[in-house]
Amino acid sequence: MALPTGLDALIEALRCLPGVGPKSAQRMAYHLLQRDRQGAQRLADSMQYALNNLRHCQRCNTFTEAEVCERCLSPKRDHGLLCVVETPVDMNMMEQTQAYSGLYYVLMGRVSPLDGVGPRELQLERLLARASDGVVREVMLATNFTNEGEVTAHYLGEMLKSRGIRVTRIARGVPVGGELEYVDPGTLAQAVRERKTLTE
Amino acid sequence: MHRHKVDGQPAFVLHSYPFRETSLIVEVFSRDFGRVALLARGARRPRSALRGLLLAFQPLELGWAGKGEVQTLMKAEWQGGQPLLSGRALFYGYYLNELLMNLLPREDAHERLFNVYAATLRRLGESLRESDLRCFERALLQELGYGLTLDTDVAGQPVDPSAFYAYEIERGPIRLDQAGASALSVGGKTLLDMANDDFSDPRSLLEAKQLMRTLVAHYTGGKSLETRKIFMELQEL
Repeated sequence: MALPTGLDALIEALRCLPGVGPKSAQRMAYHLLQRDRQGAQRLADSMQYALNNLRHCQRCNTFTEAEVCERCLSPKRDHGLLCVVETPVDMNMMEQTQAYSGLYYVLMGRVSPLDGVGPRELQLERLLARASDGVVREVMLATNFTNEGEVTAHYLGEMLKSRGIRVTRIARGVPVGGELEYVDPGTLAQAVRERKTLTE
Repeated sequence: MHRHKVDGQPAFVLHSYPFRETSLIVEVFSRDFGRVALLARGARRPRSALRGLLLAFQPLELGWAGKGEVQTLMKAEWQGGQPLLSGRALFYGYYLNELLMNLLPREDAHERLFNVYAATLRRLGESLRESDLRCFERALLQELGYGLTLDTDVAGQPVDPSAFYAYEIERGPIRLDQAGASALSVGGKTLLDMANDDFSDPRSLLEAKQLMRTLVAHYTGGKSLETRKIFMELQEL
């Protein structure tokens, strides 16, 4: 039996969500129509609102409703420090640490040569412009410690250093509270290679 | 295809991409089975033991089972012994991986090439030499059955280091009357240096790069390589 077109379209639309296949999409559609029509309305409205009103912050590239997001305008932040992360989730994580009070730049991705993602796709020239505003004195690279994150950090580093900006990379090693017995050997090996001299 | 089980197989990850919500499809280059695609179930879960292990350019020992084109990864062990690639060496690594992904057919064992690949990665971890890429390209073509003729020309004469040649793909060097008479003009010395994997002469290195670029483009069916494109774009910044 053919489903009514509206229902069909709804099921098809729900499948764009990550991890949602035809079965789950069908379950969601019936749930919204049968049991939670209000919820469905809220979902539709908030999605419409988000699509119309959210854009990338001109300064940090994360999602915001204003031209420039609140964090970028905050006087409590250190405007001379700029932390580069791959995704908004990474930025939230950095915020949770309460160890960082500078500003951010969200790449919305990473350089991934085998997937064809390069500087053009990431619009790296925007980050360049942001970092050379004359106020930023240090750029802290907090991309992931995957090969892609490393390649991204390397090129951002080269690019920014050649423009006379101080560049740092977050450290990597044994996790806090980590016991050597249980740390994976790859991490430990890298911690040995990147060991540092103890100073007074 | 019969069902089989593989254990303790030396391998490198070439590339991986997300599959479903929490899994990963990993393209690996293994010593005894060549290039295989493996499904790493749950590898993208936050606490997965595989997370952070299935990194390219690091020697691993893998175990898998199943049948069909994509088999299931059962076990992965870190072998170590070489530093993580960083900076420009990472790009060289990506280039090697893209070559293997494009040219190496699936499930075709190439033990010699595997050893060359492992040694090349080890060298890239220590020092950055373009000549390592040239040696790898030559080994790759050789292994795939596109071996280059470098020491004798198509007429059967030994290559003269002071003469100039046009390299005709699948045939060999043709002696030219003058330099630059062909787009693929190379010096006799370059050909002989390539035959000996000796790239101490910068001119040989440059000409070998141009020749290899043409050959690689030919065998990949003219497909342009992403790593090269992105490398160029990054140089422009």
